[in-house]
Amino acid sequence: MTKVLTVADMTLREILRRRAVLVIIAMMPLAFYLSRRGDHLGQSIRFVCLGLGWALSTAALFTGGAARGLEPRLRLSGYRAHQLYLGRLVALWAAGGLLSAPYFLLILVDQDGVSHGAIALIMVLTVAVAAPFGLALSALLPRELEGTLLLLTVVGLQMIMDPADASSRLLPFWFSREIATYAVDHTDTSYLARGLVHGAVCALVLTALVALLSATRLRRRPHLRFVT
Amino acid sequence: MLAALVRRESYGYELAQSLDAAGLGPIRGGTLYPVLLRLQRTGMVTAQWREGEAGPARKYYRITESGGEVLRRTAADWESFAGGVSAILREVAAR
Amino acid sequence: MNDATNDVREHAGEHDAWLAALDGELRRRGIEPGLARHVVAEAAAHLRDSRQPPLAAFGRPDVYAAAVADSVGEPVSGARRPPPGPVRLEARGIVKRYRRRPVLAGVDLTVRAGQIAAIVGANGCGKSTLLRICAGMVSPDRGRVHVHGTLGYCPQDGGTSEFLVPDEHFVLVGAGRGMGRAAAVGAGRAHAAALDWNPAGAGQARLLSGGTRQKLNLVMAGLGDPDVLLLDEPYQGFDRGAYVDFWHQLWRWRDAGKAIVVVTHLLDRLDRVDTVLDLTPVPEPEIRA
Repeated sequence: MTKVLTVADMTLREILRRRAVLVIIAMMPLAFYLSRRGDHLGQSIRFVCLGLGWALSTAALFTGGAARGLEPRLRLSGYRAHQLYLGRLVALWAAGGLLSAPYFLLILVDQDGVSHGAIALIMVLTVAVAAPFGLALSALLPRELEGTLLLLTVVGLQMIMDPADASSRLLPFWFSREIATYAVDHTDTSYLARGLVHGAVCALVLTALVALLSATRLRRRPHLRFVT
Repeated sequence: MLAALVRRESYGYELAQSLDAAGLGPIRGGTLYPVLLRLQRTGMVTAQWREGEAGPARKYYRITESGGEVLRRTAADWESFAGGVSAILREVAAR
Repeated sequence: MNDATNDVREHAGEHDAWLAALDGELRRRGIEPGLARHVVAEAAAHLRDSRQPPLAAFGRPDVYAAAVADSVGEPVSGARRPPPGPVRLEARGIVKRYRRRPVLAGVDLTVRAGQIAAIVGANGCGKSTLLRICAGMVSPDRGRVHVHGTLGYCPQDGGTSEFLVPDEHFVLVGAGRGMGRAAAVGAGRAHAAALDWNPAGAGQARLLSGGTRQKLNLVMAGLGDPDVLLLDEPYQGFDRGAYVDFWHQLWRWRDAGKAIVVVTHLLDRLDRVDTVLDLTPVPEPEIRA
């Protein structure tokens, strides 16, 4: 447990020290929010949540990339693979919570007549999904540029694809629109239920993927035996 | 160096001067002392700090028994080598 | 005051500065303090007697200190060293190909506790690959590695975290070894001091110079006292003094019973290691059709 917390602590410090990236990431959801503030209530909420997801995924992508060089030697220093990725995930989830809180307050103050509980749920799920999503991308695409481009594509698709289209459910933040519809338009709970299941499944699948990729990359290779 | 110490114990600067006087040219301190240290480490010479007749303390080097042995062997080797070379050179000169 | 006294005073100042520099360089090379004092005093006596400027008589202080260090040998002489201990690292029949090009063709390496093994060879002959295979970061096509104890690894570059300060690196690596925060920072700073580096208050790793970053890397590798140290040309960016400090650290580790493998292309220290593994490929005779 100490090991997980130490990794989480150091990861959080790393994230907080990337000042420029931090400012951009923190402003991204705000820009999204303001861009749609005028035309439709639901759109602005949906966009701020997507912005949060994008911002945290990007942060996770960079974190994962920065850790690549260090992790093999931490593994040699006595860490297990799961301690390393869990530590990073805990840090990113915490950072996501910090990032979301002011936006939740903004919506709370700025928007009446919406279900704030459901919006909080969107944010929790967004944070839960975005962190492993970014880490998985960084594990699959070693170069940050490629990962950033893929993130851009995913979030772009998320905005333009028709949510009713079955294939759009493959996108990790699909749940956000479903639950937002429930929160803003007060539709029946089937939207909420669908979104909740989608978000939970995405978070679980992506976390499992991160675990798998990390365990593979940091596996103990069979040619090496430690004799005690 | 050992040969210069055979006559009597001596300190660095004096050694440099006597080697210079023997026609080996000026020897820099930077070259001299590392050689003395190596000789000291390998037991060829011993060293002792003492007040000189005039001036401050100096480190005096004295050749040891094994140093003398090495010197004798080297001298014998040199003798036979130099003998061989001069024999050849005499032949060249006689032609 | 006439010119002659002026001259003497200037010389005295010059001598003192040079002698002080020599003293520092001798200590940095691990010359035992008593001997260092003698060497300095002897040089002072020589300068007084010869009335030569120090640079003319002895050359640069660091160069002269290096010559002295070479003459007295390493601080712990080979004769007093205990015989090597049990086998710590054993690599047998390591074969590795990259895109069908053979890089390692059945390499064996055995290192015992209290030994330094140097891996040498031309660029691209597989030195780093062998080390990474020993560290378990790369799989060989064939062969096996047995490690008796724990491993520490120092890469050629990278291996640090850009946005963390040195102390945080020590905490991170130390936690893996089961050390508390204070203990890890204390041990890290002590190791760093041996490399003539004070990491307290140093900035984030990305702001450190190449040489300092490698010192950080080296300290991280030694943290928690691993039994086997694998060092991949860790002295990149070191100046002459740091390079000397590095070898002294190696000898200290060796005397503490560690098994050390160091990849190097610098051959000037091979007389001070116990095993040399040369990976330069033997050129195969060309076959003509």
